[in-house]
Amino acid sequence: MKSILNYIRKETWSPYVAGILLGIVGILAVWLSNSLLGASGAFENLAGMLGKALAPAAFDNMYFNFIMPPGISTGVILLIGVFFGGMLGAATSKTLKWGKKDAANSDVQWKRIIGPQTWKRWGLAFVGAIILEYAAGIAGGCTSGLAISGGMLLAPAAFLFIAGMFASGIITALIIYRRRY
Amino acid sequence: MAGTIIILVLGGLFGFSLNKAGLTRYNKIVNVFRFTDMAVLKFMMTALAVAMIGLFSLRGLGLITFPNVPSTYIVGNLVGGLLFGVGMALTGF
Repeated sequence: MKSILNYIRKETWSPYVAGILLGIVGILAVWLSNSLLGASGAFENLAGMLGKALAPAAFDNMYFNFIMPPGISTGVILLIGVFFGGMLGAATSKTLKWGKKDAANSDVQWKRIIGPQTWKRWGLAFVGAIILEYAAGIAGGCTSGLAISGGMLLAPAAFLFIAGMFASGIITALIIYRRRY
Repeated sequence: MAGTIIILVLGGLFGFSLNKAGLTRYNKIVNVFRFTDMAVLKFMMTALAVAMIGLFSLRGLGLITFPNVPSTYIVGNLVGGLLFGVGMALTGF
């Protein structure tokens, strides 16, 4: 029992153990609530809600009316859980740095490659997140919603997505890291 | 209400496993594209294998029906994936 508790407190688990946990969560999501895990859809639901309130004409289209209807969906509730689950994970390994210096940009590797400035991290995160969300909209899901949730149902879409993701990810990393690759 | 709580707890476990696998860190995500740390791939493929076995066994036993399987449209999935990889390597999310 004590060794299990000690393992939970470790900062990084073996990816296999964490993967088994996620696999079980994926099974339970289908079994208990007949839903799939996902992250990107929730942001689209929330954006749709905001858009319908602020600019109803611009958001009155196929996508926001039928494919991603706005509202507090299962995905939004799931995402709230993800937020607090991630926080709990960080708290158990004592890496939760709420409000501390460097908390906004703490990755050593990022600082070495891109630079130590916080605005760079946040700016690139903003731009990159737009790319991510837009791409997830085109593909029909993100890493969790399509690659993992679709993959475990053996959806061909998921494997096409994973192939594309790794192909361009490797090329982008090559361009960013160049000789340091 | 019970359904909402179940989803919240499942989301919590999802976030917990992501955090413990280290996928909340920039270096883990980028290093898989540099072939220096394969944790992302190990994590994803383990989750896939476990969930596949569980889900298809449960469906075989008639205990569950699959929710809507993500639809396949080759160009969309591929282009989306290609664009997604750029964002992923850029930000590390």
